[in-house]
Amino acid sequence: MAEDTLYPIAILIDELRHEDTNTRLGSIKKLSTIALALGEERTRAELLPFLTENPDDEDEVLLTLAEQLGDFVGYVGGPNHAHCLLPPLTQLAAIEETVVREKAVESLNKVCEAMSNDHVLEYFVPLITSLAEGEWFTSRVSACALYAAAYAKVPASARPAMREQYKALAKDETPMVRRSATQQLGAFAKSLEQSAVIEELLPLFSALTADDQDSVRLLAVESCAALAKLLPRDECAARILPVVQEFARDRSWRVRYMVAQQIGDLSESMGADLTRAELLSGFQALLGDAEAEVRTAAAAKVTVVAQLVGAETTLSALLPAMSSLANDASQHVRAALAGVVMGLAPVLGKSATIDNLLPVFLALLKDEFPDVRLSIISELQQVNQVIGVDLLWQTLLPTVRELAEDCHWRVRLAIIEYVPLLAKQLGVDFFRFDESSQKSLSDLCLAWLSDSVYAIRDAATKNLRELAETFGAEWAVSNIVPKLVELVKNPHYLYRITILTAIEQIAPVVGTDVTCTTFMPVLLAASRDAVPNIKFNTAKIMQELLPVFGAVAVDSQVKPCLKELAEDADMDVAFFANQALAACS
Amino acid sequence: GGGGAQGSGAESAMALYAEPLPTFRDVSAGERQALFCKKLQLCAATFDFNDATAHVKEKEVKRQTLLELVDYVNTGSGKFVEAVFDDIAKMLSANLFRALPPSERMSSGKDSESYDPEEEEPTLEPAWPHLQIVYEFLLRYIVSNETEAKQAKKYISTTFVLKLLELFDSEDPRERDYLKTILHRIYGKFMVHRPFIRKAIFNIFSLFIYETERHNGVAELLEILGSIINGFALPLKDEHKTFLMKALLPLHKPKSVGMYHQQLSYCVSQFAEKDPKLAEVVILRLLKYWPVTNSQKEVLFLGELEEILELTQAAEFQKVMVPLCHQIARCLRSSHFGVAERTLFLFNSDYIWSLLAMQNRQTTLPILFDALDSNSNSHWNAQVLQLTTNVVQLFKSIDEAFWAECAEKHEAEKKARTEQETQRADNWARLEKAAEDARARR
Repeated sequence: MAEDTLYPIAILIDELRHEDTNTRLGSIKKLSTIALALGEERTRAELLPFLTENPDDEDEVLLTLAEQLGDFVGYVGGPNHAHCLLPPLTQLAAIEETVVREKAVESLNKVCEAMSNDHVLEYFVPLITSLAEGEWFTSRVSACALYAAAYAKVPASARPAMREQYKALAKDETPMVRRSATQQLGAFAKSLEQSAVIEELLPLFSALTADDQDSVRLLAVESCAALAKLLPRDECAARILPVVQEFARDRSWRVRYMVAQQIGDLSESMGADLTRAELLSGFQALLGDAEAEVRTAAAAKVTVVAQLVGAETTLSALLPAMSSLANDASQHVRAALAGVVMGLAPVLGKSATIDNLLPVFLALLKDEFPDVRLSIISELQQVNQVIGVDLLWQTLLPTVRELAEDCHWRVRLAIIEYVPLLAKQLGVDFFRFDESSQKSLSDLCLAWLSDSVYAIRDAATKNLRELAETFGAEWAVSNIVPKLVELVKNPHYLYRITILTAIEQIAPVVGTDVTCTTFMPVLLAASRDAVPNIKFNTAKIMQELLPVFGAVAVDSQVKPCLKELAEDADMDVAFFANQALAACS
Repeated sequence: GGGGAQGSGAESAMALYAEPLPTFRDVSAGERQALFCKKLQLCAATFDFNDATAHVKEKEVKRQTLLELVDYVNTGSGKFVEAVFDDIAKMLSANLFRALPPSERMSSGKDSESYDPEEEEPTLEPAWPHLQIVYEFLLRYIVSNETEAKQAKKYISTTFVLKLLELFDSEDPRERDYLKTILHRIYGKFMVHRPFIRKAIFNIFSLFIYETERHNGVAELLEILGSIINGFALPLKDEHKTFLMKALLPLHKPKSVGMYHQQLSYCVSQFAEKDPKLAEVVILRLLKYWPVTNSQKEVLFLGELEEILELTQAAEFQKVMVPLCHQIARCLRSSHFGVAERTLFLFNSDYIWSLLAMQNRQTTLPILFDALDSNSNSHWNAQVLQLTTNVVQLFKSIDEAFWAECAEKHEAEKKARTEQETQRADNWARLEKAAEDARARR
């Protein structure tokens, strides 16, 4: 028995020394199994020291170990013992390979979260210090990412030293360390007292935005918004706003790009008045920037800014830029605009939307780049609510019809998916088969059933069901059912399958009578189709529709048909027929 | 931003475009240096080359003026005197130090996974018609005997060098080529900057290796380093060995190593040549970074390994031969014929053959045996099959008895391994059971 309790660690040692990496990886992945078998005490006393003293040299193994240890608090005896996970993780946080280090840091922060405040001070803070004083930059890089989690858990007396340490890292001679500290600026500021943010981090932030390494500087600029969020408005106006205004005019497009990306969050922190007065002109400049990259980032923020500054300012200050952005030479700029521009309609209200936005929408709807068109189509709803369906329809119908036949199937799909919504808003008049009517969409709905792309055909069948549900059985019986019965005669089996699927979708809506009188003959004929795929799909559909057929029809018509199919020479046909038969009873 | 003229003191510089400046020949010798400064100031204005219709006239004026500047400093002496250094530095900074244009990969929204720098066309610098002449001027300035490091280091400062180094990320190969020549000359001339330059290059490599895996100028920087390392005195300083360990060897890790492997391999073998003891650590690190799935990269590694092995002495070889042979065996077993074939070429070198087989076969052959044996029986590629058979014959020809002994042991080992596997599975099953019991108790 004694030998028996000893052996898990022995197995691990054997496995962890195995020359094959995959074997070692396999056993590390089962570390929790070993820990369970060992029990909490021996896990602390034997397993963890073993792992610390015998580090693997394969990064893949180390990565898995770093990940496992993050969830190990439960296996070592809970929060009170969590600190014994720190030594192996600290080691991992100092090694060369970035992904391992990052995972170790993530796990360290998880463990820190679980630890008591006293233990954080006793064990975790010294750990950060040792990493921060590490000789090689990798450990200092890791240290930067540990302050935020620990700071909140230590008493006020320990905090100044932690801030000093972090600030020292932000001035480290190695740019890699400065980068890491800068990256953590927002997160660390979040756990700091507001006064400390203002007195200590803001000066640090200014220094970092003037770093002689461009990469550090850019990261500092990137934290503008995070800092702004933490500050009261007057501090924001005094300390952040001037910097942002300057960055928006920076010589480097990369800096301007960072500002454009954050303009939404920044204006939110500044509030509507300050944004109107101080930020808007910078934003206008970014919308017309010489660099397409910057215009793309700025265009994507038009709506959030507009929502903040309101209709009047949007009309006077932002709208003029819209039409030039909609015709921008870069498709990425146009796509970014198309992604958000529909959201302007609720901001501007009905008449401004009609006068000013519709031309922009139309231009984007006709864009040569499918992503642009797609963005507009999928957000029509927002405009619909503002200007009403009739007007939307008059202006957009021709374009929508064009897009319904677009050569990119994703665009067609977006239109189909929008049809049920249109149906609810437009009403049944738009969906009657009336050869003379120009405004009908019904013919499109049926045409999609014979599309060359499966996803379109499939969506088309679901669309029919939704239309039938919206307009009711009567509409379906007079508009859809006869067409389906006609279309199922298509010589190509793939299209026949689509129609059968459509029947499957429609039948529950039109009910037992229509199904048994109109669809049953179609299905029975399909069960004798020359193509086995049609036959077994028919069996599957019959199974689906059993409740719709009703007991009488099942006994008299469906079962005999299925029995016949069950004898079919084709394996698949017989299989599905048998499955359907089994479902009958 | 905007599409107009930019640059420090852009407005005063722009004013110079209103009235054409005289040529150097049109003024007396005494006025020429003053005119030189004027022309430098004029050239400090920069223009947007993305818009071909903007500032057409000014662009041409500036191009002509830049050519005149180069022409002027090429003829006669007394041009590069300290009085003009400030204007020179301003002109250079205004033109050269800019945010590099966004690359196609960024605009096309491609992430780092799908971007392959070897596949894609580089984005060429639109302002090259001006930049080229500016670089040419900088080069003349650096190499001129009149430019004394002592005075010029105030202008060719560490900040200046750092900014030049950031430009190595340019996608335009013409620009990187100029930068390479210029930085090399600066390194040669400004002795005070040497440690700084090495450290700055180290930082660029760190960022590339550990964070971005994206930099266009690694090959050029390594080329400069190659000749710097070439000049290192013996014995090598620790600082230089650290550079090998912490920068050059980790450079084997990024997936784009193919872009700069030739230059990297040259640097590494320079170290091994200067200090053969380093061969040990170089080989061990190569093994650590050995590619797992990328066959092209593997072939590159094999080439480098061969070069290093040629420089490895017997004592160092013995320290690495066990892990080395395990890797060689894995490469021999590769189903990619190019990898297997390249590995077999290692045996063609007399020196490597002597290390591997003549001196150490007692250790190496048992590790290599399985791979050699199975390849010579059944590798799908005829060339690999034939080459392996040759190697097997060679081993047999030097020590037939030991080959037979290995064959015998190999059989026994195979059997033992099956038993071990059963034992392992059994152990794990018991372990899982114990864990389950423990879970139930909790």
